[in-house]
Amino acid sequence: MADQTFTGWVRRRTTSARVKVADAAARVLITTAGLATIVAVAGMCVFLVAIAAPLFLPGKVSAARSLAPQLAEDAAAPVHVALDEHRTIGFACFGDGEVVVFDSETGDPIDRRRLFDEPPTAWSFVPGGDLAIFAFADGTVRHGTLGFTAEFVEPSEIEPEFRTLEVGASRRGDGGVVQRTASGSFRIQRFAAALSEPAKISEKPVRLVDLSMLTTGPVLVAVDDERTLHVKSVTVIRNMMTRRETLRVSGGSIELPPTIGGGSLPVHCLLEGRADSALLVWADGRALRIDTRDRSEPALAERLDLLPEGGGTITAVSFMIGKTTLLVGDADGAVDAWFRVRPSEQSELAALVDGTRLVRAHRLEGAAGVAVRSLAASNRTRMAAAGFADGSARLYSVTNDRLLATCPPQDGWHQAITALSISPKDDGLLTASADGCALWQVDVPHPQTTVGSIFGKVWYEGYERPEHVWQSSSGTDEFEPKFGLVPLLFGSIKATLYAMLFGTPLAILAAIYTSEYLHPRTRARVKPAIEVMASLPSVVLGFLAALVFAPLVERVVPALLASFFVIPFAVLVAAHAWQFLPTARATRLAGWRVPLGLLAAAAGLAAAFAGGPAIERWCFGGDIMGWLAWKPDGEPSPFASPFGGWLLLLLPFSTVGSWWLVARASSGRMRTAISRMDRPQAAAAQLAKFLAGSALSLGVAAGLAAALSALGFDPRGGVVDTYVQRNALIVGFLMGFAIIPIIYTIAEDALSSVPEHLRSASLGLGATPWQTAVRIIVPTAMSGIFSAVMVGLGRAVGETMIVLMAAGNTPILEWNIFNGFRTLSANIAVELPEAVPHSTEYRMLFLAGLSLFMLTFLVNTFAEWVRQRFRKRAFAL
Amino acid sequence: MTQLAPAPSTLTPQPRPRQPRPSHQGGTLLAAGEPMVWLLAAGLGMAIAMISGLVALVVWNGAATFWPVPVVEVRTLDGSIHLGEVVRSDTYRPDEVVLQSIPEGDREAVRAAIEGEGGLASRRLLRTANFDLSGTHFTWVDDFSIAPGGESNPEWAVVVERLEWGRFVGVPLRGEQGGAVVAEGEEATWTWYEDHHAEARRLWRERRELKSDEMGALNRRIEEARLDLRRAELREQAPPEWVTAWTDLSRARAVHDESGIEASRSRLAAIEAAGFRPNERFLEAIEGYEAIERSTEGEFAALRGRIEDLDAQLAAEVMVLGTVDGQEQAIPLAEIVRAVPQNRLSWFGRLGVYLDRWMEFLLDDPRESNSEGGVYPAIFGTVAMTLIMTIAVVPFGVLAALYLREYAKAGPLISAVRIAVNNLAGVPSIVFGVFGLGFFCYVVGASIDQLLFSASLPNPTYGKGGLLWASLTLALLTLPVVIVATEEALAAVPRSMREGSYACGASKWQTIHRIVLPRALPGIMTGAILAMARGAGEVAPLMLVGAVKLAPELPIDGTLPFVHPERSFMHLGFHIYDLGFQSQNSEAAKPMVFTTTLLLITLVAMLNLMAIWIRARLRRRFAGSQF
Repeated sequence: MADQTFTGWVRRRTTSARVKVADAAARVLITTAGLATIVAVAGMCVFLVAIAAPLFLPGKVSAARSLAPQLAEDAAAPVHVALDEHRTIGFACFGDGEVVVFDSETGDPIDRRRLFDEPPTAWSFVPGGDLAIFAFADGTVRHGTLGFTAEFVEPSEIEPEFRTLEVGASRRGDGGVVQRTASGSFRIQRFAAALSEPAKISEKPVRLVDLSMLTTGPVLVAVDDERTLHVKSVTVIRNMMTRRETLRVSGGSIELPPTIGGGSLPVHCLLEGRADSALLVWADGRALRIDTRDRSEPALAERLDLLPEGGGTITAVSFMIGKTTLLVGDADGAVDAWFRVRPSEQSELAALVDGTRLVRAHRLEGAAGVAVRSLAASNRTRMAAAGFADGSARLYSVTNDRLLATCPPQDGWHQAITALSISPKDDGLLTASADGCALWQVDVPHPQTTVGSIFGKVWYEGYERPEHVWQSSSGTDEFEPKFGLVPLLFGSIKATLYAMLFGTPLAILAAIYTSEYLHPRTRARVKPAIEVMASLPSVVLGFLAALVFAPLVERVVPALLASFFVIPFAVLVAAHAWQFLPTARATRLAGWRVPLGLLAAAAGLAAAFAGGPAIERWCFGGDIMGWLAWKPDGEPSPFASPFGGWLLLLLPFSTVGSWWLVARASSGRMRTAISRMDRPQAAAAQLAKFLAGSALSLGVAAGLAAALSALGFDPRGGVVDTYVQRNALIVGFLMGFAIIPIIYTIAEDALSSVPEHLRSASLGLGATPWQTAVRIIVPTAMSGIFSAVMVGLGRAVGETMIVLMAAGNTPILEWNIFNGFRTLSANIAVELPEAVPHSTEYRMLFLAGLSLFMLTFLVNTFAEWVRQRFRKRAFAL
Repeated sequence: MTQLAPAPSTLTPQPRPRQPRPSHQGGTLLAAGEPMVWLLAAGLGMAIAMISGLVALVVWNGAATFWPVPVVEVRTLDGSIHLGEVVRSDTYRPDEVVLQSIPEGDREAVRAAIEGEGGLASRRLLRTANFDLSGTHFTWVDDFSIAPGGESNPEWAVVVERLEWGRFVGVPLRGEQGGAVVAEGEEATWTWYEDHHAEARRLWRERRELKSDEMGALNRRIEEARLDLRRAELREQAPPEWVTAWTDLSRARAVHDESGIEASRSRLAAIEAAGFRPNERFLEAIEGYEAIERSTEGEFAALRGRIEDLDAQLAAEVMVLGTVDGQEQAIPLAEIVRAVPQNRLSWFGRLGVYLDRWMEFLLDDPRESNSEGGVYPAIFGTVAMTLIMTIAVVPFGVLAALYLREYAKAGPLISAVRIAVNNLAGVPSIVFGVFGLGFFCYVVGASIDQLLFSASLPNPTYGKGGLLWASLTLALLTLPVVIVATEEALAAVPRSMREGSYACGASKWQTIHRIVLPRALPGIMTGAILAMARGAGEVAPLMLVGAVKLAPELPIDGTLPFVHPERSFMHLGFHIYDLGFQSQNSEAAKPMVFTTTLLLITLVAMLNLMAIWIRARLRRRFAGSQF
């Protein structure tokens, strides 16, 4: 009986296997795919972090390989060492002119030769290349290069003994070091010296010498026994017939004043990279800077003290790449970096001989109490190394005062490091002392980036003071990329701020009207229409901003500025006029408020444009561009008065202030009096009140503006300054377009989701729609509106195309609304396609992307949290 | 507001006479807060007006681009003559410098006329074209500087759209064939042109196909053979110098250079002595490559011959036009895309030209560094990218939403995930571009290259921006849109329906599959379409992961394997950016930018409207049952 059912169907009591399998399969598939999708999205953040993180990792210097303990036969210490770019071969140069070339793998000497018959009396090795100059007792100098040559040999032609080398391995031989390259052929690195014929520059023995290579030829400075500084340009003249080269030396000299150094000779003489300034340094820290722009008449430019703290002895001096930054090491172990700056103040500038002065920009962390014996600079970056008297060495990144690594002395070695060299690819450090040489492996891929240097002010070479700078590329090799994110962050904030100032009020006003006053049927049409605008591609807005609005706005700036005040004024005047209508008619026509309000706004705009030239004449001396660009120069000018600018700037504040004042003043008895009046009378009273308030705000603004102008304050240089065609005003305007639909939609959603019974209760108690909106709906929906603003902010921060096309893209820190900026997002769009993968710039751009990600993610999460709270509260009501 | 009536009193027995109460109309007025309401209303009005004004601006300018406008000839007071289309006009404030350019005799009259207008003067921008002769595309003409009676619309002024140098404006003088004059005079030349132009263009197209298709096919064959050889080289680990020596040897053999053969032989012997022995397969690969190189050589020569023949034929037919200042310019018929005597056209004639230009715009390749011609590759790229993106994003988005809504246990973790997914929608698109470039191109793409395309390294195949990576990047970008929309659609399915299904004994998957998903489908489709709309309009990430200003080949074409997801592509949005921002001749490019913009916003708006329409239908279908 149990099997008999009414329908005759037999009920199956077990679930079929097929259903079970399908169910399980769906569960597994959906769970894995769903989780995988979510994990993949999270992986994006992880990936960005993984690319950006190496920027902040400290460098590694791995254990040294001590090379041949004794390079020189007489246990002398080298004065100069160098490595080739593959770190396979090196040479050490000694004070007597002897050069020992060695295999840097084993330290075995390859070649030993004497460069000159006579030992030189002075020498200089130019950082950032293999240039060198030697001076001799007979007053002659010889300059040239001491470096390496590379020769590539096919496997078929190499000596058989090298054919068995593994790729990357090297072996001594054939007058140098042979290495098998990745492409299978062999490279032979050999030492090469090429020195010029002697050129006589002085009758006396030369004691100090330095050289700079210009495109026109070498320029050298030398100090001879008689305390005379010679500045000479060398020209090479080639005889066409005999092909012999002769050197012609021309230039001038200057006697060093006897008052300095107690008549002693300086210990260092250096010539800057552009050969426009020479520096003479005495051991006690005193120094003279000579202006050598005119080589025939060198002149004293500056007297300096390189040890301003007093006491101490200078023990090592060297230039960095480009020969502009000077490293100074003293007996107390401190290493300072100095360079010339050009003061921007006219008064300071006038006091200087060549318009510049040498300042100490960086102090590096030395070994306390141990004298610095040698300094070396990298060939490509701002890395520098210092060798100390106790045999230790330190590696620095100079621009951000960062100690990258410390290299302790080798076991049992105690001699001072007399020479050291950073390998050409910044991947090795060779230190040399009387004990021998040691080769350190250096792995510091991003020496210039620390949290401090990315987000803080950094004193870059040639800048007057520490500054936030972003400048990632330039034409020259000696250029130092500057990676300060602050100007870009600032640009993003500036763009966002001006866009929000324009977009937020409009969007919120529109949202309140839509939710509280619009007929539901109209609302159902209007809202989707505005939502569609949210997906208007931003490249369209960018194009309109840059090519249509920027040239247009340029011609009507005063009218545009005026319209910010005139349009609301016109709307309010129209509203007050409307109040004169009898109640019945006003109620019947209430639906026409939007078109009429728009008409009033249009009238206001027309009035502003009609009055634009007049405003320009009264406030800005007839030409706002000229007014904005005016700088005080002592000349009388129609643009000198800052009154007009102050007036416009202060007007918003005075409006708010007088609004508040009028509201306060009319809240008590006056309000009661107006409420007792007839409608037309009340309307007239309201209009009078409004006009009085407007006049008051204008008067207050004018008064304050006059006072501030009289006191000599000028808004120019702050929020307003010289006009640039692509500027924050344009971006703010067009980006306002981009965020209005977003803020509008979310705010409207929040307003409409306020429970209907609250609205009904308020209206039922006799409150007008306005009172309901202001006292009930908006306060309840406040958190929702706030979250709408936050979401709009998130969109504005990351917007790319509009700012890329309309903001001019100069990374400057300036609030000027009439100037451009560069945002994080635009910077990524401009620079990432060209950045070399995994370079510092590439990682910096990832860091910029990560900052944007974090910024918007945090803002949005906060907004979401607020919105959820709001939803809960709205439910509870 | 209505008059407040006194409440009827039921307590007092006798009716008292009505007391006139104070009206308090003023109070009502204050409470209505009308001025503030007006501000709200004006805010809404301005928001709508600005946005619709913006759209109207784009639509108007975009639609007007191709309309043939009259060509005017103006003779100015100082005697110069300009002929061109009027692009736009405006009013400005001429300064003294402008006035100095007016001949002295007329200066005072002009000055007075300007002052009569309040210091304003109107001027027109003429597209005088003829860049190859004059060095400029546009000329401003002040209305006050036009000589009396100096303005006319010459009947035979012809605007010629050329392949190079931009447009040409002039009067047809004669037609020449192989140097001999075959037609003379405006009308005869024009008739001759109309008779011969179509044929010349047909030949030109033939030549283009020869050059791109057949030449391209040959090049591809050689390139493939070279890659095969390189693959064999990598497989056998042949030293490159052996291969060069071998090629030198075969070249020397081909020209019977005995000493060369000897030298290459000894080089080979030396390398082989060093340990390398080529095996049979490797030698075959080399021979195969050489055979292809030899066989294509003949074909190349034949092709080149044909192209040269066509070139000669095309260069023979020339139309000579005279400019307004008396110069002559000969333009080969094949170089003329379109010549329009704009002043002779009737309204319908203009409409024909207008539609013809639209067709060219939609279906042809760009020319003149994108500022002329069509945007077909960009439309194609946009659509292809959007489709691949949709295929990638919808399944994963739906699965993730199903998991979140149906399978995951509700808790703080899931709501955190939900918030995070929601917020991902607000992360700037450029960040996705950064991720796409770093991860897809440089990590995934580079790995694919290492594994599968090592032969063509160091030239990247997948290790650079391309259609696939762009689509995947945008898929990631639009994932939150799909997830959120799907979740909403799933949540909108009433609980009662699920419960009913379970009560009937259906399993979870059966319920989802038969009850939930069908009801949620419109919502999911809305999400997908919204994602497409967002993806189609997004440009910033594409700049990093594969959109280019000019892609020589479409990502889908007739060569195997037909779909090339690694190729760079053109995109409407990027086209706008590139034209508007990077173009040399931005004034000439501006109309094209407007038209492209019109096309893009039409595309995006259509997708959006579709989504809204589906949503509205969905709401109507499910509305009413709840409340």
